[in-house]
Amino acid sequence: MQLYLPIAEIPVNIFVIFGMGGAVGFLSGLFGIGGGFLLTPLLIFSGIPPAVSVATVTTQVVASSASAVVTYWRRKAIDLKLATILLAGGVFGSLIGVILFDVLQSVGQLDLVISLSYVTFLGAIGGLMLFESVRAIRRRKSGAAPKARRPGQHNWIHGLPLKVRFRRSKLYVSVIPVVGLGAIIGFLGTVLGIGGGFMMVPALIYLLRVPTSIVIGTSLFQILFTMAAATIFHAMGTKTVDIVLAMTLMIGGVIGAQFGARMGQNLRGDQLRLLLAILVMGVGLRFAVDLLLVPDDLYSIAIRKGAGA
Amino acid sequence: MIRSSGLWSLLAAVLFVAPAVGEENTSDLVTSLSSDVISIQSNFTGTEIVIFGQAQNFERQPNDPGGLELAIVVEGPPQDITTRRKGRFLGVWVNREAERFQHVPSFYAVASTIDIGELANRNILDDLGIGLNHINLAVSGVSNVPLADRDDFREAFVRLREETGLYSEQETSIQFLTASMFRTNIPLPANIPVGEYRVKSFLFKGGEVVSRTEETMAVAKIGFEQITFRLAQQYPLVYGILAVSLAIFTGWLAGVIFRRD
Repeated sequence: MQLYLPIAEIPVNIFVIFGMGGAVGFLSGLFGIGGGFLLTPLLIFSGIPPAVSVATVTTQVVASSASAVVTYWRRKAIDLKLATILLAGGVFGSLIGVILFDVLQSVGQLDLVISLSYVTFLGAIGGLMLFESVRAIRRRKSGAAPKARRPGQHNWIHGLPLKVRFRRSKLYVSVIPVVGLGAIIGFLGTVLGIGGGFMMVPALIYLLRVPTSIVIGTSLFQILFTMAAATIFHAMGTKTVDIVLAMTLMIGGVIGAQFGARMGQNLRGDQLRLLLAILVMGVGLRFAVDLLLVPDDLYSIAIRKGAGA
Repeated sequence: MIRSSGLWSLLAAVLFVAPAVGEENTSDLVTSLSSDVISIQSNFTGTEIVIFGQAQNFERQPNDPGGLELAIVVEGPPQDITTRRKGRFLGVWVNREAERFQHVPSFYAVASTIDIGELANRNILDDLGIGLNHINLAVSGVSNVPLADRDDFREAFVRLREETGLYSEQETSIQFLTASMFRTNIPLPANIPVGEYRVKSFLFKGGEVVSRTEETMAVAKIGFEQITFRLAQQYPLVYGILAVSLAIFTGWLAGVIFRRD
């Protein structure tokens, strides 16, 4: 069934969009990620204008994270204090991202920066996760006991000043890396049109040593509010949030997420991380191939002013 | 809506045609659109308009070089469009040169009775903007495209627009119902931009325009599509908050419905 999108100004097959929302929702429920880094490229590849894809995915991420946050809230698996400080950094980073987005778009290098960032970040994080999860699985198979987390275990980050106690996370750490992390992810999220959960989760685990049980809920809570702000920024700035497209994606997404979350409970943490690592690297590779292969068409056009701009 | 072409074409007809043909004193052109408003609703997947017309005293002999021929151009509201070309830089493909075309039609379709090149000479076609090779593609002053490559950019631009269905050329697509009455269908794809369209009809005789008509047609969203679009454009903050509220509500509702614990 074809449905005309009022903002994108093209008709789409509603079942295809619903299916995409569902599939990405399933993965986001499974891995506890927003799924923006999968959904944005999927929409662009299926012919939705990039500006509409980026802006609308932020809205869809709000819905999928809201759905998951309800669950984590009930389990009390959210560190509100940590999330709030991350959020403060996130808003700042997002603001800088909006400015850079405009500059890059006007000089025609936005696509390049998005592709390069996808390759770099997805490649690096996917690679790290792959390495780590394979090691964890091997260790488990060989029967060696995993090293228990010791309270006294510190890295250089724990030597920074302005320390704050985060009770839920059982952490006593400086706010500088927390704000910084929020800012970097808010910045990248705005430019790339993603929530950034796949970057936030490993950073919280490996850099700040936040307990795994708290990480996903806290990350989702922070993403929920960053993406809500991003939706409003996009609605006011680029005016490319398509509410019909967003609703279709959301409904597919929240249903898919429920099945994903249920399946996730039956999988081991290291297996989940291995699957996510493969997925993240796959998307990164897809962008790398596009950058390196001779394009089908060297030319491209972009509407700058007037009808449909 | 039938409208005669007015004094100018009448004058042109008298000046150019009457002396040449002798016994014919006018070849006035009359055209009409099947609809002057194209409404876009949620089920819109593209449509077509039918243009009817009559050229009085029209006696068309196919392939007669001195005969009367027709061209009809449908033009959408103007846009500024940047065309970019990728080149290899440090191993990756990046956008290098860019050319900005100003005030080009967002939609362009032309129908004619014979090949466009045979209607008139190049200058006339360029002046009137009849045919994809004759659209006025004005470029902005700032451009890093070498002069020798300018034509490549123009060709690429037209080709890319053709691929999206927004530009088209249908030679010999005007059908004759009687000796003087004609009709043609112009398809309007689903991705047409909204705005005011112009439908220009030209009657050629011996390579000169002897009569022309111009009509307007509106492409507009109606109902829900229009309300949504207006809200997004005029009250963006309200629209943004609405989008976020809908998203949070949908997410929360799903979280409650699918509650597991």
